[in-house]
Amino acid sequence: MRSLNRRYAVTAYLFLLPAVVFFGIFFYLPIANILSTGTQTGPQANVPAGIDNYVKAFGDAAMHNSFKVTLIFAVATTVGSIVLGLGLALLLDRPLKGRVVFRAALLVPYLTSVAIVGLLWRNILDPQLGILNRLLDSAGLPQQQWLNTHPLATIVAVTLWQHVGYTMVLFLAGLQGIPETYAEAAKIDGASPSQQFWRITLPLLAPTTLFVSVMSVISGLQAFGQAYIITGGGPANQTDLYVFHVFNVAFTSRDFGYSSALSFLLLIVIVLFTTLQLRAGRRAEVQY
Amino acid sequence: MRRALTYAALGLVCAITVVPLLYMLSLSLQTEAETLAADPVLLPSDPQFGNYATLFERAPFGNFIVNSLVVAGGITIAHLVFDPLVGYAFAKFRFPLRNTLFVLLLATLMVPFFVRMIPLYVMMANLGWLNSYQALITPFLMDAFGIFLMRQFIQPIPDDLIAAARIDGASEFRIYLRIILPQVRPALAVLGLFTFVFQWNEFLWPLVATTTENMRTIPVGLTLFNQEYFTLWHLTAAGSVILFVPTALLFLFSQRYLVRGITLTGLK
Repeated sequence: MRSLNRRYAVTAYLFLLPAVVFFGIFFYLPIANILSTGTQTGPQANVPAGIDNYVKAFGDAAMHNSFKVTLIFAVATTVGSIVLGLGLALLLDRPLKGRVVFRAALLVPYLTSVAIVGLLWRNILDPQLGILNRLLDSAGLPQQQWLNTHPLATIVAVTLWQHVGYTMVLFLAGLQGIPETYAEAAKIDGASPSQQFWRITLPLLAPTTLFVSVMSVISGLQAFGQAYIITGGGPANQTDLYVFHVFNVAFTSRDFGYSSALSFLLLIVIVLFTTLQLRAGRRAEVQY
Repeated sequence: MRRALTYAALGLVCAITVVPLLYMLSLSLQTEAETLAADPVLLPSDPQFGNYATLFERAPFGNFIVNSLVVAGGITIAHLVFDPLVGYAFAKFRFPLRNTLFVLLLATLMVPFFVRMIPLYVMMANLGWLNSYQALITPFLMDAFGIFLMRQFIQPIPDDLIAAARIDGASEFRIYLRIILPQVRPALAVLGLFTFVFQWNEFLWPLVATTTENMRTIPVGLTLFNQEYFTLWHLTAAGSVILFVPTALLFLFSQRYLVRGITLTGLK
């Protein structure tokens, strides 16, 4: 029964019909539209503009700033969540009492909406009202203007707070997929714990690390709520995340042509990044 | 000694993740004056459960809740109906263009939502659908991740089972309903859970696709509320708690499914 009869092809198409219609209208049509709108201008995006929007983007200081901010944000959240997520997974990957409770506590922020996270941390970080400065104060440490002096680092930290449980779960699954025999063999050969980690565990986790980094970079490049809710892009555009920037160009400046061009540029960057990471990953896997 | 250090480290990190959320609960029970005090109040002296009622007086919060339920619930049902249907076709049928269509499906995974955002907005505006459930639901009726997940689970079901049902004269759709779907119930649970939590928390599209206050979902309603009445932290916190409760309950009762879902799909 490997290959089913040809007449079942009709049945298959019937099963597929909703998907063809849906992805056609809601994925492929929008992509086609963003390409064509990107070459138009005017308040209704109805005046042909060729590549003007793209030329404008390359000379646009606001866009450069926003792109730089977003790149830093994406890389920082990715590195941070890999280091923290792996560290926590290593701590939890042993027979501990209350493992399930620890895992749950770490995972809870991941399940909250960015709206909650943003508003809650805006309150906690508030220089006057917030409990964080109050804590610093009672510990005898100087109070901080978090969102004024280190706005980007602060929203990176808040994002890590929300996402670390997610990467931790992925790394935990990766660790549990490594057979015990490797560790035992290494121990017999006299490998120190740190040698075991760097030479055996980490290389074997390469696929997980790659997956986590691809997902994390992509979601970092698309971050929006942190800027919209916590900082409003400020101060002085230091947290003008790209999607927030595009959002403002589209819905505040009402420039659909330019915002479409900007969206398309970010799509290219994301596709490039993903391809590069996957290629690098394949090489890393071949080595071991 | 090492064990104690491990517990201490994990305890500290868990405190950092959980305490802010508990503080949100505390804020939601404080008086307005307490939320604005120069010395932040850790525990309300006299818990103001009335804050939760005030929420409904000061904003159309009942609408926000209904909207969120209709949108997240509707999208979840759509995924549970469509994703396995399409997954089944790819898992068990051979037909012309099968690989091409599958590649086109997986390619949509590379398209982040914001790339669709502006064209979708224009499309909805042209249809006159802005500020409607159609606008909030239709762009998310299916999901390539979900289809892929269902395909992976349907593939191992023996072909003989399907063949035997055909010989017995069962219709194709009946085979799907009676044989395929019951076999993948755990996967459907994972898919439903993820879809609901993700859509319940969704922020960007409901913000873009709705402008009237009555059509806002809870996440968007919360921020509006917060900007309009800038300092009403007790109400913002109460609203956040309400937004958080269904996810927390789902999580409590199905933690294993959720963790499995994350490791299986890496769904965001």
